[in-house]
Amino acid sequence: MIKTVISFVSVIILSTSFSAISKTKVTWSMESNADRDPIMIEKLQNAYNNSQGNYELVIEFEDNETRLTSMRTAMIGGMGPDIVETPGPSYVKEYHAAGMLENLDSYAAEFGWKDKMIPWAYSSGVFEGSLYAIPKTHESMVMLYNKTLFEENNWKVPTTLEELEDVAGKIKAKGMNVFSYGSDGWQPTHEHLVGIYLNNYAGPQAVYEAIIGEREWTDPVFVEALELLKKHMVDEGYWSGSLENYYAIGWDDFHAQFANRGAAMMTIGTWTFQATQLGIGASGDEWGWAPLPSLSSQSPDPNFMIAIGTTMSVNANGKNKDGAIDVLNWIMSNKDKVLDIAKDFEFGEMVVPLTLSSSDIPTDIAPQVQDYLSEYARITGEGNYGYCTWTFWPADPGVHIWKDMEVVWAGDISVEDFLYDHQKMWDKARKNGDTLPVPLRN
Amino acid sequence: MKIFSNKNFVAWYFVFPVAFIHLFVIGIPSLASLALCLTDWRGLGEINYIGFENFIELFDDRYLKKAIINNVIWTIAFLTVPVGIALTCAYLLTGIKRGQMFFRLAFFFPYMLASVINCQIWKYLFHPIHGLGGFFERIGWEFLAVSPFTTKSTSLFAVAFVDGWHFWGFLVVIYLTGMYQVDNHLYEAADIEGATKFQKFRYITLPMIRPVFIFSIMIIIIWSVPVFDYVYILTGGGPAYSSEVIANYMYSQAFERFDVGYSSAIGTLMFFYVMIIVAMFGLFRRAGWDI
Repeated sequence: MIKTVISFVSVIILSTSFSAISKTKVTWSMESNADRDPIMIEKLQNAYNNSQGNYELVIEFEDNETRLTSMRTAMIGGMGPDIVETPGPSYVKEYHAAGMLENLDSYAAEFGWKDKMIPWAYSSGVFEGSLYAIPKTHESMVMLYNKTLFEENNWKVPTTLEELEDVAGKIKAKGMNVFSYGSDGWQPTHEHLVGIYLNNYAGPQAVYEAIIGEREWTDPVFVEALELLKKHMVDEGYWSGSLENYYAIGWDDFHAQFANRGAAMMTIGTWTFQATQLGIGASGDEWGWAPLPSLSSQSPDPNFMIAIGTTMSVNANGKNKDGAIDVLNWIMSNKDKVLDIAKDFEFGEMVVPLTLSSSDIPTDIAPQVQDYLSEYARITGEGNYGYCTWTFWPADPGVHIWKDMEVVWAGDISVEDFLYDHQKMWDKARKNGDTLPVPLRN
Repeated sequence: MKIFSNKNFVAWYFVFPVAFIHLFVIGIPSLASLALCLTDWRGLGEINYIGFENFIELFDDRYLKKAIINNVIWTIAFLTVPVGIALTCAYLLTGIKRGQMFFRLAFFFPYMLASVINCQIWKYLFHPIHGLGGFFERIGWEFLAVSPFTTKSTSLFAVAFVDGWHFWGFLVVIYLTGMYQVDNHLYEAADIEGATKFQKFRYITLPMIRPVFIFSIMIIIIWSVPVFDYVYILTGGGPAYSSEVIANYMYSQAFERFDVGYSSAIGTLMFFYVMIIVAMFGLFRRAGWDI
């Protein structure tokens, strides 16, 4: 009897080990985040591994800055992970130019990826006519506000510049900051604000024309947009009370400031939904969101800035390209599984730009997020979308737009001089072929 | 083959492992960096030779000039404040018989902490809400209401202060070691002559610790060139490049703008600057300076 049990157990152990060994490993280097990692393991890695018997997906989590450097070094040496995750199209561009990414055209055609994705998101991964990257997360910028506070004070959620300046005065009179936000720990935060003012003052059409080279960045409409931002940032101290405080305040602080009524509103990306829900949700106040207000007659309609948070590509020198393609196709073909992951992050992460119908939106997420997803689909579907700098700006002007904005705010150079330098960088990027894919406007 | 068993050759057996590692870790990358400064390499893909274009651009770069000026200010600040305080404290410590070890440890302690920890401590202390500023504001004082790290006029000095705070304890220890080497008879003779404490410091201590002192000056000048971590963690070179230093600017060019060729040109500039400093000290030594 004992012998039979031992034999039986041995067979089970051996067969389990054999099946694990027989699977070919597919590696994915992913940005580490203590809250997100367990969910990615359970709902992506394990779910994929349990769904088939050929490949074993192994996600390797690492701090993003370290990860990007080590991945780059490995890829220069002809190695690296099978699935290459980057923080956006400007990184994809670099890898693509170096011939390190696999052309995905044939797989996209075979598996019908194009039909499954939002058109603008699909085209963001197309370089020189071929698909090289699929967005892992797409995002936008929104304006959050403390709904309870607004109702108590009978304030109107601003939709225009006049309404914004009016309510800002009332908020300040109550001893609160207008917006909660800050750049400590992430200097590129400035580009969120620059993008808002370019798109919502000059208008998405003007921004689009400048991106494709049909309009100069020195155009007066952009000068006016950045002058207005400077006025609101430096003179009015809209964000966290002053420019200096905005520089000193980081992620935890500005969420706390918003949650404890230190500020009435917050301009931020949709990646914040989970943190906001946890933060202000615990305070007892209710939060709401709205599209960013129109700041001039050149941008009269509400629009959402479109952006790619992270991308997924296949390493051309990877050990298991077929496995990597299989993982990507599993993601593209299992909408319900992907939505289940996104749901756990309140649609702040792993928001793969798959085409959704209203019935796809989960009902067990925050009602504000449900509402946002519907509105985002409706408004961008009508062609009212703007452009986030971190998705459509080439590397050099992309750094200039946030790093040198501090010089403008410090009063060291004028907005005109800043935009003159910016145009020169765009000219250089265009000459070197460094510009990024941009979806055509309707 | 006899040469390998020669007594004089034995030393090379000990030097060789370190020299071998240095060749691969420092030598070859340095040479590669020197070569890359003449290219337009973006960190990946093709490398194109572009001659001295990077250097032409470099001399026209207003933010690099700003970074160089900030490095010079940084060097001057470190050559004066921490050196002055460390010399004074080390000299005063020599007169303390009981509890000296406590002070030596207390002064040296920040030097043992990782730069990230030091930076976080000071970041919190100067935080406008949770820090000293917030505390004073709550009791009605506007003192430190704004973080010095986020103000253009103070950011460089604030970062230098934090780095100096971590560094000066190290100087105390090396000056103290030098001071203990001074022959006590000299002080006894000075006492008989009626010299004051300051006169003994000026005419005995300082000349006698000159080798240690000059060594400290040399390392401060050399270490001030690649200063990076405190600037990167505390301000990122901002606001508005007000605390930008050469190494941080070089990092930004390579890893934010992907302009590795240009970044290598900045690195080359730093390399020659350090070489000039080292050569100067070599010349001083040849001229008979006791270094």
